[in-house]
Amino acid sequence: MIVNFDLNGEPVSVEVEPNMSLVDMLREELGINSVKKGCELGECGACTLLLDGSPVTSCLLLAPQVEGCHVTTLEGLEKNSLMIDLREAFIENGAIQCGFCTPGMLISSYALLRDNLHPSAYQVKKGIEGNICRCTGFTKIIEAVLDAAERITPE
Amino acid sequence: MRPTPSFQYHAPKTLEGAIELMGTLENVKPIIGGTDLIPQMKEGVFSPDHVVDLNNVAELNYVREDNGLICIGATATHNQIAASDAVKKSQALLDAMTMIGSPQIRNRGTITGNLINASPAADSAPPLLVHDAEVVIRSIDEERIIPLTALFTGPKLNCLEQNELLTEIRFPTPPVNSASAFKRIGRRKAFTLSVVSAAAYVEMEGERCVDARVAFGSVAMTPIRASEVEDMLEDKTLTASIIAEACLAARNHVHPITDVRGTAEYRKDMCEVLLRRALEAALERVR
Repeated sequence: MIVNFDLNGEPVSVEVEPNMSLVDMLREELGINSVKKGCELGECGACTLLLDGSPVTSCLLLAPQVEGCHVTTLEGLEKNSLMIDLREAFIENGAIQCGFCTPGMLISSYALLRDNLHPSAYQVKKGIEGNICRCTGFTKIIEAVLDAAERITPE
Repeated sequence: MRPTPSFQYHAPKTLEGAIELMGTLENVKPIIGGTDLIPQMKEGVFSPDHVVDLNNVAELNYVREDNGLICIGATATHNQIAASDAVKKSQALLDAMTMIGSPQIRNRGTITGNLINASPAADSAPPLLVHDAEVVIRSIDEERIIPLTALFTGPKLNCLEQNELLTEIRFPTPPVNSASAFKRIGRRKAFTLSVVSAAAYVEMEGERCVDARVAFGSVAMTPIRASEVEDMLEDKTLTASIIAEACLAARNHVHPITDVRGTAEYRKDMCEVLLRRALEAALERVR
């Protein structure tokens, strides 16, 4: 079957089997590699993207379910000012070890800061509770998100 | 990892269309959030020949207050429910909607799926049980409305026939002199399954509790109400000693098992603790 949707601002049309997951369609058919395949059961958050603006795990969606939807991945936010602040804060705070969880962490953190410019440390933890860092670098990640919030906060 | 074997995918736009597909197709599964169903299909628990996606059925997507009832349509997500004005009147359900899963799961998952999955640990069940919730079930032939307690028939088992859809969850709007709370304990705080959960609802006239309702998760074959405990709280002033007695008694009205998440004895201990916390939180809110 054919699925038509908006990927990072561009209309795309892809031929898929109905049992293909969204993460597989993005990686195998569309060359979107920021969405990582970790658990493939919705537990680890490595495949997180924005579906019509809300963070979801793309391993838990069937490809045909995004018909007519807006899908945004890290690739589509490369020039976004909030994402640039987050990316720099992650680098400067050492919030990356192996890097496998990073795209998902950035997407979840982006959605959090977009909706809440002044999160508490607890709210940051709640915001990334669906993303697992198996290097256990959570402290640096939380510090990086709080640092990014400082950068975007107007004086 | 894919759901295998493959299936035919259907995306009806109307409820009538969805019900007709459910009634005419063989080996069919409805999907909404898919947060339980997709992993189950990947692991081979379910291998449907047809999947009916309800997400495009606009008439199933609502949370509203209607004639003294709070009504939740089948496709309303946890986050959508948490953000609705109607559900602000049930603090216990609101508590559960912010604790269940993760942001990603709450953006996609639904109460409908959480209930249909029928896990004894389903976090949306105890709050809905203390609100005396009913569920509306539709098929080609009929509409039936049953109490939520009748939906659960065992661990991971529900009473729906293959051709039926759960279309709405509803419960009476809680009166202003009432309040509720939901508490749980997991193996960790973030994104976890409940080892034990408890919901409490109290309706007060001055210092006297005129209606008390108590429900637990993960301590029996299904989520349960504990009417014997409720009787110990009703028509009483809820002093610390009355609450302590009722919470102690709760241990005798639950039937937990020992599993990977906790022992039966620990679960009984936690029923006592969580019920006290839930009652205290509800009383704090009603004042």
